[in-house]
Amino acid sequence: MLLVTTIIFLMMAAFGAAAVVALCWAARTGQFKHMETSARVIFDANEPVGAVTDSFPPSQKKTPKTASKEKQS
Amino acid sequence: MSDASAPTLLQSLSPGHQPTVEENLERGEIDQSTRLPVLAFFTTSLFWLLVGTVFAMISSFKLHSPEFLGDVSWLTFGRVRPAHLNTVIFGWASTVGIGVTIWLMARLCRTRLRHPRMLLAACGLWNLGLVIGTLGILGGDSTSIEWLEFPGYSTPLLFLGYALVGIWGVIMFRFRAPGHVYVSQWYLIAALFWFPWLYGSVQLLLIVHPVQGSIQAIVNWWFAHNVLGLWFTPMGLAAAYYFIPKVIGKPVHSYYLSALGFWSLALFYNWNGAHHLIGGPVPTWVISASIVASFMMFIPVTVVAINHHMTMRGKFHLLATSPTLRFIVFGAMCYTLVSFQGCLMAFRSYSKVYHFTQLTIAHAHLGMYAFFTMVMFGSMYYIVPRLVGCEWRSATLIKLHFWACFYGVILMMLTLHIGGFVQGLGLNNPNTSFEMITKSTIPYLIGRSLSGILLTIAHFVFAYHFVLMLLRLGRPQGEATLFTTPALPAAHDKTEPAAL
Repeated sequence: MLLVTTIIFLMMAAFGAAAVVALCWAARTGQFKHMETSARVIFDANEPVGAVTDSFPPSQKKTPKTASKEKQS
Repeated sequence: MSDASAPTLLQSLSPGHQPTVEENLERGEIDQSTRLPVLAFFTTSLFWLLVGTVFAMISSFKLHSPEFLGDVSWLTFGRVRPAHLNTVIFGWASTVGIGVTIWLMARLCRTRLRHPRMLLAACGLWNLGLVIGTLGILGGDSTSIEWLEFPGYSTPLLFLGYALVGIWGVIMFRFRAPGHVYVSQWYLIAALFWFPWLYGSVQLLLIVHPVQGSIQAIVNWWFAHNVLGLWFTPMGLAAAYYFIPKVIGKPVHSYYLSALGFWSLALFYNWNGAHHLIGGPVPTWVISASIVASFMMFIPVTVVAINHHMTMRGKFHLLATSPTLRFIVFGAMCYTLVSFQGCLMAFRSYSKVYHFTQLTIAHAHLGMYAFFTMVMFGSMYYIVPRLVGCEWRSATLIKLHFWACFYGVILMMLTLHIGGFVQGLGLNNPNTSFEMITKSTIPYLIGRSLSGILLTIAHFVFAYHFVLMLLRLGRPQGEATLFTTPALPAAHDKTEPAAL
């Protein structure tokens, strides 16, 4: 039981320390700076802000052929 | 990066290894690099969802019709119910969560996926552990510890399978493209760290060297509550923080709030589990600390709710045209609900009524299903077309899936909340016999079975649709990023009525 207790306390210490290290690392590397522009990192030139990237597929009544024709036109 | 030039695992783990960072990768290339592992995790997760659903239906029917399959030993309630719980928690939810995590990590690290074979091996080990564990429970080898019923001989496989995913996550993060670490990545990395801590500790303390007495209950609920809050919740929120802004094309309302939400979750959630033991034979300070921490959870939950709502403001019309958004926004709203309910459940006065009733079951399903599962469904609707190269086959099937889930959840929540409340009031009334209380819950349990039928329909519809996609029988339209840019709902209306 002593061994298990020791392992558990070591794990607690390690994970607690990891959280503190992560917070310090984030502060040191500027993760908390420029917060508003950072929110835009998931967008790029192909999928810019303003572009909707998901929709239902077209109605089943349309065959793929007619749908692609529509797209071309 | 060709296979020949791909780094070996040893190179990736070597502290001195300096890889060339491929900048400006096309999003389609990144998506394609994740194809095999993500589809492997998705496919197996759906298999377990169906298995778990069948177990759920059997368990639910047994609660109001105990004679149902009553003479089959491996389908008795004591085995089927834990089989349901473990197959949906580990088989469905964890597996699909890992699949979504892999895809998101590759996108957010802005790099090709490294070591796909390692992830395939992880998927194999994980699923082998699930098969052995499920058969073990059905065979009567359950540990009888709630949320951890898989027998001890299956858990090393699960842990090993998970460990490979965890190591892969660290490697991906280390070799990410330079730049800001988006909030979703914080959540994902945290989940990948927290799960082995939770699962490892609880295995040591309850299975390998079991602690004695009431400490078992504390450890058990520490795990059961945290696996929801520190494993599933971060994965669900990571997906919501990525997909909501991405689908609507609008950055998160307040990035400050998202950082506050993450760090306050990390600080407070870990203390919450003991509020399930209010009134139990455990030290009062443990419960009091848990109640305070539960109350503090109002901070991260409110922050996330405000952030998601304000991000969506002015874009709610897109719920009519985007399947991903519809599922994820519903899931995010349920996150707020379940979390506020969780905070209130920590109050001693409320606990007196709901404890040992169907209300706890309702709360668990509100979190695991209405929040997490719906977010995962939404994520899959976004990810799968980008992996298989075609669009979903049928809008009708997607809508059927959503509405069956929606009404199933609503019906389950109504029946179990009202039934649980009636049950709780009865249990607190010394003039009501236990038999009367049990009988009074039967109509609500039948209602729950009806809701289960709706959810079962939803799951089989989705699985069928997913298999069509795997066979590339979807709509061959668009390119790697797919979809015919329905920027305006009006344009969409030309091809598909926007009726919900």
